[in-house]
Amino acid sequence: MHLPDGLVPVGMAAAGYAGSGALLALSMNRIARLPDPQAAMPRAAMMTAVFFAASAIVVPVPPTTVHLMLSGVMGVLLGWFAVPAILVGLFLQAVLFGHGGLTTIGLNGLIIAVPALVAFMVYRASAGRFPRLAAGVAGSGGVILSLAIFAAFVLLGLPAQMDASAERAALVVFVLAHMPLVVAEGIIVIVLLQILSRVEPGLLPRG
Amino acid sequence: MAEAAPRLPDCPRTRLLVALILAFAFASVRQITSLPLLAAFALAALVASGQPLAVVARLRAPAMLALAIALALALFSGSDTLWQAGPLHLRSDGVAAGALVALRLLAIVTLTLVLLGSLPPHKLAEALRSLWLPAILSDLVMLTLRYIDEMRARLARAEAARRLRGGGAGWRALPERAAVFATALIHGQHRADRVWAAMRLRHYGAARPATPPFGLHDLLWIGAALALAAALVWLDRAT
Repeated sequence: MHLPDGLVPVGMAAAGYAGSGALLALSMNRIARLPDPQAAMPRAAMMTAVFFAASAIVVPVPPTTVHLMLSGVMGVLLGWFAVPAILVGLFLQAVLFGHGGLTTIGLNGLIIAVPALVAFMVYRASAGRFPRLAAGVAGSGGVILSLAIFAAFVLLGLPAQMDASAERAALVVFVLAHMPLVVAEGIIVIVLLQILSRVEPGLLPRG
Repeated sequence: MAEAAPRLPDCPRTRLLVALILAFAFASVRQITSLPLLAAFALAALVASGQPLAVVARLRAPAMLALAIALALALFSGSDTLWQAGPLHLRSDGVAAGALVALRLLAIVTLTLVLLGSLPPHKLAEALRSLWLPAILSDLVMLTLRYIDEMRARLARAEAARRLRGGGAGWRALPERAAVFATALIHGQHRADRVWAAMRLRHYGAARPATPPFGLHDLLWIGAALALAAALVWLDRAT
């Protein structure tokens, strides 16, 4: 779910860079407060690589398939490191594969990183009492929030002469087509976090 | 693709800046009359790459996306019907809007692949580091690129093993796939701990190389990109 180059006005793309830059500055500030910020970096890189590879997993939505987004689980496992990790992933996708876009890295960063941070905060606040519910909300909620931000950007950015009813219909179809992904990511995050809490609880966020 | 083409900037930082300047200029084009210029820039970039066929092969997926967007805009945007077949109306302003978006997209992706897609990974990280971005970003790029193939191979092996054990497909396989994903994360974490210990032993982060100043050649490239971008935007607004 990436905005490609050339679709949205250049002012909006520049505003996306400003928004993602602000989010990156905030996350760098929070990372700098960690006891040993550099120590978390190899782990963040390793997880970025795992997420990069795992996002190739497809969910069948007849007659087609959709790719996993994993914004919620990235937020839960990486915390504030999710922002630089997501921006790095988007940069590499644009440069190496031509996916997403160079001018839209900022907007795409907001589409994925904001839900990741929200998932991180929701999970951290509620996992103590309702671990399964918190995991499900982080996984499914991440996709729903990404869909909402994506739809808002598309509505703001498409040409003014576009038929408004056709535009809305296309967005409704797009959102409905991604509903199975909402369910799938919820299931994956619940199972994944259950396994990690049993086998490797050190990977889960603390406090 | 890894060898530097003689007609492109040598310095990765200059390539990144030139790509960003021209990509934003291409994205700012609003008039359909400017599209031949965009196409000419993209073709010039392809020729300058020295390996136009290899770049074109990587443009397949972006070209499909551009075609889909152009068709959607041509059929659902605008008011003047050019051609009609049953419920389908091809509209002139929709065709113009579709062509604009599609060509902007293809020109920017071509430029990105030519200027940046041909750089080796460590040069990409070097370009980010020399642009005064946080060191953590360039380090993340470097380490992610180092592990990405390994992780892909690990996930592919685990998926093959799951299937050989009689694992299902589709929705029923989601919990099993989550387990495969968890295993990859745990292995990745253990590997990351070892890598971090090795990096510490090599005094990682003790000193970072100073960013070298721009050379005359780099300044000429950046100046030329700025002039081209300004000329493109001026021509676009003047028509």
